[in-house]
Amino acid sequence: MLPADCSRRLVAELRGALDACAERQRQLERSLRVSRRLLRAWEPAATPAAEPTLGPEAKGEHLSPACTPSSQDLKELELLTQALEKAARVRKGISKAGGDKAPVPKSGSTVTPVTTTPSHLQAPGQADGRVSETSPPRGICQTKAPTKGHPERRLLSSEDRISWGRGARATRPGPGLRDQQTAPPAAQQAPEAFTLKEKGTLLQLPMAFRKAASQNSRLWAQISSTQTSDSADATTTAKTQFLQKMQTASGPHGPGLSAAEVEAELGRLQEACSLLRLRMEEEVAAAPVDWKQELRCLFTLEGLQALAGQCLCRLQELRAAVAEQQLGPWPVGGSRSTLSPCGAGADPARGPRLLLYSSTQELQTLVALRLQVAMLTQQIHLEKVLMAELLPLVHTQGRWGPRELSLCRAVHSLLCDAGERFPTVLQDEPTG
Amino acid sequence: MGRQRRRVDRAAGAGSGTLPEAIAALSRALPCGPSPETFRRAKFDRPEAAPALWQLLFRVLSPVSEAGATAPPAPEAQARLVKAALRSEGYPRPALAQLPEDGSRGSRELLLALSWLLARRPLLERLLARTRVRLGDEVAVCECLGVSTGCLGTEPDPCPLQCEDLAFGRANTGLPALGLGSELHVDIRHVQWLMGKLRFQWRNLVSTQQEQCALLSKIHLYTWGCHSDQSLGHLSATETEVLRDPEGSQQLLQVLEQENAHLAATVEWRRRELVFWQWMDTVLDTCPQQAPDAGSQPVFLPKIPDHRAGQWELVAGEMQALEEELRAAAEPRRAAWEAQVRGQSRDPAWSSALRALQETVGQELAALRWAWDQGRDPAQPHGLYRLVRSEPGAPAGRGLQAAEVIGALRSKEACLEAALRQLQGQCRRELARLMGALPGFVWISSPVR
Repeated sequence: MLPADCSRRLVAELRGALDACAERQRQLERSLRVSRRLLRAWEPAATPAAEPTLGPEAKGEHLSPACTPSSQDLKELELLTQALEKAARVRKGISKAGGDKAPVPKSGSTVTPVTTTPSHLQAPGQADGRVSETSPPRGICQTKAPTKGHPERRLLSSEDRISWGRGARATRPGPGLRDQQTAPPAAQQAPEAFTLKEKGTLLQLPMAFRKAASQNSRLWAQISSTQTSDSADATTTAKTQFLQKMQTASGPHGPGLSAAEVEAELGRLQEACSLLRLRMEEEVAAAPVDWKQELRCLFTLEGLQALAGQCLCRLQELRAAVAEQQLGPWPVGGSRSTLSPCGAGADPARGPRLLLYSSTQELQTLVALRLQVAMLTQQIHLEKVLMAELLPLVHTQGRWGPRELSLCRAVHSLLCDAGERFPTVLQDEPTG
Repeated sequence: MGRQRRRVDRAAGAGSGTLPEAIAALSRALPCGPSPETFRRAKFDRPEAAPALWQLLFRVLSPVSEAGATAPPAPEAQARLVKAALRSEGYPRPALAQLPEDGSRGSRELLLALSWLLARRPLLERLLARTRVRLGDEVAVCECLGVSTGCLGTEPDPCPLQCEDLAFGRANTGLPALGLGSELHVDIRHVQWLMGKLRFQWRNLVSTQQEQCALLSKIHLYTWGCHSDQSLGHLSATETEVLRDPEGSQQLLQVLEQENAHLAATVEWRRRELVFWQWMDTVLDTCPQQAPDAGSQPVFLPKIPDHRAGQWELVAGEMQALEEELRAAAEPRRAAWEAQVRGQSRDPAWSSALRALQETVGQELAALRWAWDQGRDPAQPHGLYRLVRSEPGAPAGRGLQAAEVIGALRSKEACLEAALRQLQGQCRRELARLMGALPGFVWISSPVR
């Protein structure tokens, strides 16, 4: 059994590591659920949404609350469906014959001029309303029946919105489409839900959203530009003066260090330690061939020694400052507040930086490497903690019975092989 | 009412404008910002302004996970946390610690505290950044960021851009070893078990992460060409989710618009804030002069024993050991050199060569120092990036290439592996030495990997 305080520290450290890992796993699984759901067939929602800025693909069966279908509308819907199926059959015949040369503009470009064409078919009221409301920003950008006349085109588009689920859509010709041709006969029977694989390229974000998003990035850009440009102007001087006044008004304390800054510096000193050590090993391992290299090695080692000494001094200074200022530890664990210096994301207001990847493999490699780096950093830290806790125990063993030996074996395996292998101890019994 | 200062020259840029407008902008920019009236009342230390300011400071100072919590703790707990956090920040005025915790008094002091925080750092920007709506699939290319960002999250999680020590496995609560009351002594096997569990969890994490990457990649592929922003080219998972679930996306839209409002207010605040600082000077003047407290503050929070104290020892010990080793390495070399040099004559060419060498070494060491001083390795990319799929031959100016990041990470991995091996080797030697000295036992170490 390990002594109490040692146990407590070790278990706390390891539990902390486990908790952090578990938290990461939880968040990852949450995102995974979302992604999986996106790649399955999207179910049409049961309840109507408040605003008709909907993806037609998602809400095929969905009618806006303002227009409840009347029986006449339903009848007309039937007519439309039949007409559409007929058109689909006809078009299939055409496309099979010679391939359709319909230009297929990508999303974001032109929208079929549905609003302007009056239809003698008296398309149901709701289709009308919806089309006129939503068509300018929305838009399945592909015309379904480029060779047919206007009414039918309009018919088809509006029909799409209403009865996407019916699967009465024709096969879509066109270059640039990544998805496969859907098989109409099979699909026409059952309502065909939207799948990202087949129709993903048709999506378009709602207008309100796009506006908000672009305003958002514009404002962030504005903020970051004001941040970078406010050096040595009236405002900054006013702020500095205010801070100084605050400091002097409170009495003869030194310039306040925050706990977060102290911790950050501690982290930096730790990093310094490992960098210095790495450099030292390089120098010691190198074999100088001439006097210049020898001298260089000597200078480097002495320089490193001086740096190490400086770091030690700084460390002691920090400790004294913490004690004097009675800087308590951060109240709720870790310096996870807005106030600690933003480590990696030094400029949070900077616009979205892009990370470009070209294949799934590349992305997976990148992410796996990042995790590996995190894991190694954690392992190194745990190794140091274990060394600090367990090696003294082994040193202070009095008698060497089986229990102490097994402790030694366990310590050796933990410290030297990360728990993967064990050493062997043989008792050298005198024979006889 | 506050002072009204009308400036004729409105177009003078920063600082022009009235005080009420500046305060109004501040109150709009802050999350749960108090009304402008509260600010004015606080100048005169009116008690009715105090609760709102306590709440505001609590909101600002509490860590990310609590900032969005639905049930804020009781006012006393809020006040305690605010005091502790400010003390931890190094707040210079002792008057704050003496305020009663029921939230009934102290509005002027709280106003001063808020201004102190605002003056030291770009507080508003940081507050907004930590809850920033992320529309893209954000990925962190380094491990400095916290848990909630590094997982290719597709939901707009609040994103803490602070130095979270995930890698150091610090407990998320400040109280260590909760629930350890009954297990005062643990066996080493329990430690082994925990280590094994940790290894297993990491492996799990890796495989889940790989799956998520594959799915995201598919989503990007299938939505190619949809994005209105041509430089992005495809939708992110978050954006696709918006389309799949319009009801949920309404919420997102609302949050986005709220953020826009805050951002606009912050921009306005930046333009007008000079007036505010001049006003704060007067607020400070109205405070009665306090005799500086001799000795500790009357309200002394109990020191929570945390394992951070152990870290000082670790680092100090390491650093000392390192210095010793360096001395041991350098001294013999110096002695040998001195012996060699004694025979040499001092000609100017030789001494200038010496100086040049010293300079180059000095520069190298300065670069080394810079590497840890700046808190980062300049060669390593950092931060959050939006993931965008693109063709391999795309023009390089658009953003960071994954291949670069992979290269940097590989070299970092190599460094870390070397460091780990070195530590393990050290342990191995020490234990072998120890066990080898024992009579009556034969110690067969495990094979070195």
